[in-house]
Amino acid sequence: MSDKKNKKPNRPPKPFKVVAKKSIVSVLFGIMVAGMCFTMIYPIIKLFPNVFGELTDLGNPDVIWIPVNRSALSFTAAWRFTMKEGIMTLFKSVGYAGLITVIQIFMSAMVGYAIARVKFPGANVIFMLVLLVFLVPPQALLLSQYIHFQHFWFFGKEINIIGRPITLYLLAIFGFGVNQSLFVFVFRQFFKNTPKELEEAALIDGCGFNRTYLSVMLPCAKPAIATVAVLGFVWNYGDTYYTGYFDPDGSYLGVILNTAFQSANEQFVINAIKTWYKLPIANAFAFDAVKQAGALIYMVPLLIFYFITQHWLVENIENAGIVG
Amino acid sequence: MNKMKYKNKRKLCGFMYTIPWIIGFVLFFAVPIFKTIWWSFNSVGVSENGGMSLTWAGFGNYVSLFTEQVASGSRTFLQVFTNENTNLLVNTPIIVIFSLFLAILANVKFKAQGVVRTVFFLPIVLGLKVITDLITITTGGDLVSRGNGLFSQGFAAMMLLRYTSISSDIILTITSYVDNIFQLVSRAGVQTLIYLAGLQSISPSLYEVAKIEGATTYESFWKVTLPLIGNITMFVVVYTIVDYFLGSSIATEVYSFAFTKSRIGIASALSVVYMINVLLVLFLVLLVSKKAVKKDV
Repeated sequence: MSDKKNKKPNRPPKPFKVVAKKSIVSVLFGIMVAGMCFTMIYPIIKLFPNVFGELTDLGNPDVIWIPVNRSALSFTAAWRFTMKEGIMTLFKSVGYAGLITVIQIFMSAMVGYAIARVKFPGANVIFMLVLLVFLVPPQALLLSQYIHFQHFWFFGKEINIIGRPITLYLLAIFGFGVNQSLFVFVFRQFFKNTPKELEEAALIDGCGFNRTYLSVMLPCAKPAIATVAVLGFVWNYGDTYYTGYFDPDGSYLGVILNTAFQSANEQFVINAIKTWYKLPIANAFAFDAVKQAGALIYMVPLLIFYFITQHWLVENIENAGIVG
Repeated sequence: MNKMKYKNKRKLCGFMYTIPWIIGFVLFFAVPIFKTIWWSFNSVGVSENGGMSLTWAGFGNYVSLFTEQVASGSRTFLQVFTNENTNLLVNTPIIVIFSLFLAILANVKFKAQGVVRTVFFLPIVLGLKVITDLITITTGGDLVSRGNGLFSQGFAAMMLLRYTSISSDIILTITSYVDNIFQLVSRAGVQTLIYLAGLQSISPSLYEVAKIEGATTYESFWKVTLPLIGNITMFVVVYTIVDYFLGSSIATEVYSFAFTKSRIGIASALSVVYMINVLLVLFLVLLVSKKAVKKDV
């Protein structure tokens, strides 16, 4: 851990006891960290032998890591179950998550900025309400929101907007998408700590309120935006609550997987595999393998997204305003 | 005069920025809450013109909550709630301590720090309910801990059971947690992130002072780190609880009561009780932790 210090010249060599203690500590530390990392990656690694093994091999106690016969059968089966519109389903759910995240960032930043920097009467009340919304679980409001959307008032007409994506966009635009009050909170904390001089300088340069916000304050908020973007995309892509209840038939991979592989569907899935691939021996193990292949397909865009963006998260956490 | 004008204009603009949120608050939060509470005191039926007909039922809905079975299997409403609350009480402290531990590990400077951090935040992605649901095997034991009971049936646990006088209950509880470590890890992603941010906001000079005063790393953890991350701990605890309730199965029960059994009154009562439950837990936690931590958000 502290090689640098030891290499400095003109230092008396450290006594053996200290060196020994240090190296033992760093070895233990290394083992601990490596163990933790392993725990987190293990579930992903473990997916592969199950998914890419032959369906007949599953349940064979001799096969743990390397399947005897490899096949992509469960993968294609999962693809057939989940991709109703081919690869477009995948693109659609990624696109949906991206679009909703952008809306959420934009709306939350606006509200967060206003309640953090502008001292209009009621700003604190709104902040308290944001916290309240964060604390109240959305499930408690499900019923009433659902009925509300079934009889949605739209310029004098009552229309049913359950099962249309517009419902989800409405929720996000008005600040009530997935975990959106948390995002408002993050932006509020961030803007609270930005220096006042920035706004004053912008004012002297002749910027109006909107201009100050859009071209000075918003670009400043990159750390907060990065954090919210990563979390927002992951949560929206992984959301099955809002999408599942308010637009159950839409192309959201999470919802599709959830309904296709719920335990009540097990027999149906097994029968489908039997007839599709002429495999009369398909059993519960096959169901699991196909389910996990589904999980793998589902995780691919997420993992790609995560590995591209994680350095934003890691580099920016200090300034992201999570800690106010 | 001009300055006053500017200030007023600024306030107005600021208020304008919050208008969408306020509309949302009224439409998607305030009205639904009041409606839910109102319905919970009525028995709701369908009237002839397709609308709703309400007849005052007092606490009738709440009473039938306790007497009828909820949707999933033969569990009663009380069982569901007790289960959720006990799980919450047991798991929250473990998740919080665990995420602090992970954050401390991720905060130490060493060569592979970047890689390790990347992996440590992986649970933010892998902890999604969809994924944890999908990767659990229903037949051959958990994928997460196949060779199930990797630890509890392992050598170390056996030795502990046989040759020490620690009660077997304690050992078995601990080992079962070790077995299900992924369950914990998958819930600790965001909390680790928050803690790491908190740890980095502590000025390094404080640790230097502690070192000069002769404190060991261990002592400076207790005397410097812990007191300074008190607020953050509170936030983490609240987040953990909120997140825990978000994953609750109660939505399924509400939905099936309302739309499969068309008992909107009872479903509303269930929602209300659930909400009160969550807020009560949070209130108690805040009350307790306020004694321990000086609070300022």
